[in-house]
Order: sequence, then structure tokens, then C-alpha cells
Amino acid sequence: MLEVRSLCKHFGGIKAVDDCSFKVERGSITALIGPNGAGKTTAFNCISRTALPTSGEVWLDGQRIDQLRPNRITRLGLSRTFQISRNLADMTVLENMIVQARVDGIRGLFRPAISEEERAKAMEILEFLGITRIAYEDGSNLSYGQKKLMDFGALLMSDPKIILLDEPAGGVNLSLLEEIMTHIRRLNERGLTVLIVEHNMDLVMRLSDKIVVMAQGRVICEGTPAVVRDDPAVLEAYLGGADDEEAA
Amino acid sequence: MKSQMIDSTPGDVLSARAAYNERLARLADKTRAVWFPLAILVILLVLPLVQFVGNYNYMLHLVLLTASYVAMAAGWNILGGFAGYVSLGHNVFFAIGGYFAGMILARFGISAIIMAPVAGLVAAVFGYAIGLITLRVRGPAFIISSIAMVMIARLLFDNWHFVGGANGVTLPAPNLSSQWAKLPYYYAMVAIAAVTVWSSYRIKHSKFGLGLRAISKDEIKAESAGIDTRFYKVTAFAISAFFIGMTGAVWGEYLTYIRPSIFLVILIAANMVLMCILGGKGTVAGPVIGAVLLVAFNEFFVAMMGASELNILGTGVIMAVMLMFFPLGIVGTLALKGKLPRILNWD
Repeated sequence: MLEVRSLCKHFGGIKAVDDCSFKVERGSITALIGPNGAGKTTAFNCISRTALPTSGEVWLDGQRIDQLRPNRITRLGLSRTFQISRNLADMTVLENMIVQARVDGIRGLFRPAISEEERAKAMEILEFLGITRIAYEDGSNLSYGQKKLMDFGALLMSDPKIILLDEPAGGVNLSLLEEIMTHIRRLNERGLTVLIVEHNMDLVMRLSDKIVVMAQGRVICEGTPAVVRDDPAVLEAYLGGADDEEAA
Repeated sequence: MKSQMIDSTPGDVLSARAAYNERLARLADKTRAVWFPLAILVILLVLPLVQFVGNYNYMLHLVLLTASYVAMAAGWNILGGFAGYVSLGHNVFFAIGGYFAGMILARFGISAIIMAPVAGLVAAVFGYAIGLITLRVRGPAFIISSIAMVMIARLLFDNWHFVGGANGVTLPAPNLSSQWAKLPYYYAMVAIAAVTVWSSYRIKHSKFGLGLRAISKDEIKAESAGIDTRFYKVTAFAISAFFIGMTGAVWGEYLTYIRPSIFLVILIAANMVLMCILGGKGTVAGPVIGAVLLVAFNEFFVAMMGASELNILGTGVIMAVMLMFFPLGIVGTLALKGKLPRILNWD
């Protein structure tokens, strides 16, 4: 469903993402892992076009999307969250969610900001996430975990086909982690394709159908959790990076 | 202790939460005082009747001046307040509106009051085109680009002989006695101000306004939320130029001459910004309150200190002190503290 072909992103002389290719199958949960600085988030940014790739192609459902603007990509059904929750202060959680809803045409622009259907839909999503109580809270007054959940909810407002989650479990406590994992799994069961960047190995191993391991901007291993766990190149990247650092 | 908590609190917690939710829902859905701006409008519409019992031209002039600034500040607020792009160059559209309608009046004798919407559209087209260029940058870079816009416009108008260069053009005065000469402009300006404030209210509560607010908070997030940020910003730029252009059209004919040194001075752009900041950027009532207060301060200090540069100092000190107490503007700060009087809640 999502295919990345020899994606490169260079910052000056640094090759943050270097000839990276992988596929995300429809209906799967795919995880993108790798040591710090492997280029996971940069690859993510290039896919959602928050950053402009230096070269390479990104295909979504047979359509090339690396030339499109981020808002078009979102409308095509690819939505993402950010590693550091980017919520909109001075706007309520409800508004934060509804801002993500689809707007059609010039006429649609001047409709009332929150229609009843959108309010109902947003409340349903908040209900699903178990946070209806914060619907009218200001986006900046939330706890870290609530922000993560709100981001997650806002994502669903745009009716995505595939969601990109950038460290959904980063810095959240264990009980919330379980909660988020349950949500991801339930959404996946409803047919949503998921691509996750995550450091938490426990989550990755338990949740994903397929794992893509990146190191120094390249994909070094791809496969089921069992395959990745036993791959020598992966162990090398995580544990034995000393030689590489000297070489660099 | 744990068992005690479990025994005694669930009901209390639930009811407290229910009450809290209800309060938040009420706050989010609070009733607005729509009657108050309407009442002001009605008063302003019947105010010229005082001309039957005496000559109150000065008062009418002050209301007209305030109304023109209300329209300009509320127009500026659509870009600067909602979308968060502070422009110090919006008087360019004031000039474009004024010059367009003024030249039509001078050449074809069509009143600027009739041409005001067209002048607004012309300003909006320029706003759209300029916005496509300058809205590519944000923050300080955008502010500087807006100042550059004024300087370029000033240079062009100063040297454009067709519109009289630096000397400008004198426009024909209306055939009315001095008792009634201000009235057409008075009504035109009050109408423009009312339409602008009403439009800014409608925009704020539309999808478009929600998108602009998202852009002002976090543009990258807004874009990844599916908002066409460039289109939203440029459209906001054009809409704000439209209202300011209309104001300029009427203002030019009211003064009976158009000259670069009237329209293209930074003070006018700065006034729009200061009014919005004083009243509350991004609120509907803010620009109105700011315009009324700033015009009042100016007149007061001119009366007290004379029309030298000193009166500007007086206004400046007042501004500085007010902003110490109302850092988000009067309406913004009061709303944050939950102390906004209902009559000022137009949002």
C-alpha cells in the first residue's frame, strides 16, 4: 500500500536517509526501528512531506506522493503524529480534533467551524480513546499522555487509510502504553494500516507484523519480529556500533 | 487509608466531574451579547440627527475616524490576529483603495462611496498577489517584508505622474453645506466598519477561521492536519486587504485629496497593529475596543499637550502601561481570566 523507493535525504554532507526502500502491506502493522540517528524520523518526515526528500520516490496506493504538499497527502489518506506532540494551544481538544476533518471546496470553508456530525464523530473517537472528559479542555492544559491520546484521536478525524505514528509510546507510563497498544491493535483490526517508529522493543515485538530496521540511513534488515530478533546485522547495529563510529 | 478513599469518594468524584464537565461545556458554548454591538450601531445610525439642533461636525468626524480605524484594525486582524502574520504594511491597501476610487472620481465623477467595494476588490487582488510572495516567510522576516512593501509602494506613488506624484490629486468636494457634508462619508464608514466586524465574526467561526487559528499556532501541524496553509494564508491576506481598501476609498474622497503622505505613512499601519494588540489580537471585539481607545487617547493628548509630537509620547506611555496589565490585549486578557464582561463577548 505504501512503498518507499530509494529514498534519500541529505543535510549538507550528512546522509540522514540514504537509499532507503521498504514496503508497507495493506492492513499490516509495520514498525520502523533502529538506533538513535538511524534516520527513522527523517524517513517519516519525507514520507509525509514535512521534509522534502533529496531524491527517491514514495508511492501510496499506486500514486506517487513525494511531489505533493503535506495537506494533499493527508487528504489522500495518509495521516501522521509527531514525536513531540504538536497540539494547538488556545484551542479546545474538540477543535484540535475537528481541525483535522475534511473541508470541501470554497463553500465548505465558510461553513460553521464545528458541525453537529463532526462534533458527534469527534466525541465518538474521544469515547473510543476514553478521554471524553477533556473534550472542552484547552489543548495546552493536557498532560503528556493526554496529548498523545489527543494526537491519536485527531489523526482519526481525517479518515485515514494509513497512519504513521512517530514514537507513540515515547515517554508514556506503562499503563498508558498498554492502552495505546490496545488502541493501535483495535484500529488495525478495523482495517487501518499502521506504520510506527518506536524505540520500545517490547511494544514493537508484540505489536508488529513486520519490522524494518534502519541504521545510518539504510535499511539493514526487514522481516517478521522473529527474523529481525535473530539477525546478526541488527545485533551489530544495536550493540556493536563501536567499529562503525570509529570508521565514521 | 486506601480503603477509606475507595469507600467514600466514587460518588463524589463522579458528581464533581459531571459538574466540572458541565461548567466547561457552558463556558465553551457561552451566550454572546449580540445585542450590544447592534445597539451601538443603532445609536451611531441615529447620531447625525444632532445636526438638526447644532453643529457637531467635530464629533461626527471623530466617529468617522474611529469607524475607519475599526474597519482597518478588524480587517488587519483577519490576517494578523487569526492567522498570526503580523503585517506592518497594510496601509498599502489603504492607499490602493484610496487611489483607485479617487482616480475614478477625478476622471469619471463616480463617487468613491459607490466604488468602495470595487476598490476593495482591487486591493484584494493586489493583496492576493503580494501574499503569494511575502507569505512564504513568517515571523520577523514577514514583518520586514511588509515594511518593504510600504517603502516600495511609497516610492512608486511618489514618482507616478499619472496619479500626481508626491503632490497627489485634488478631488471634487460634494455639493453639500458644511452642516451635512460629512454625512455620506459618515454612513459609508460606519457601514464598512459594521460589515468588517461582522465578517470577522463569521470568519472566526467558520472552517476557514479554525484553519487560520491552527496556522497561527503551529503551521507544520496545520499542514499535516490537511489544511492547505498557503491558500488559507493568501486568502486571509486578500480578505483583509479588501476591507482596508474599501476604507481607503471612502477616506480619500472624505479628505478631498489623495496624496502618498496621507496613505503611505507607517503610522497608519502601526495604528492598526497597536489597536489590535491593545484590544486583543485574534478576538472580534478587540480591534473595535482598541480603535476606540487609541483614537480617544490621541484626541485627549492632542487637546492636553497640543498637536506637537508630545501627544504621541502620551499615547505611547498609556499603551505601555496598559500592555503591562493586559499582555494579551484587553479582551484577550479578560477572557483568559474569565472576567470578560458579557457586553464585550462578541466571539
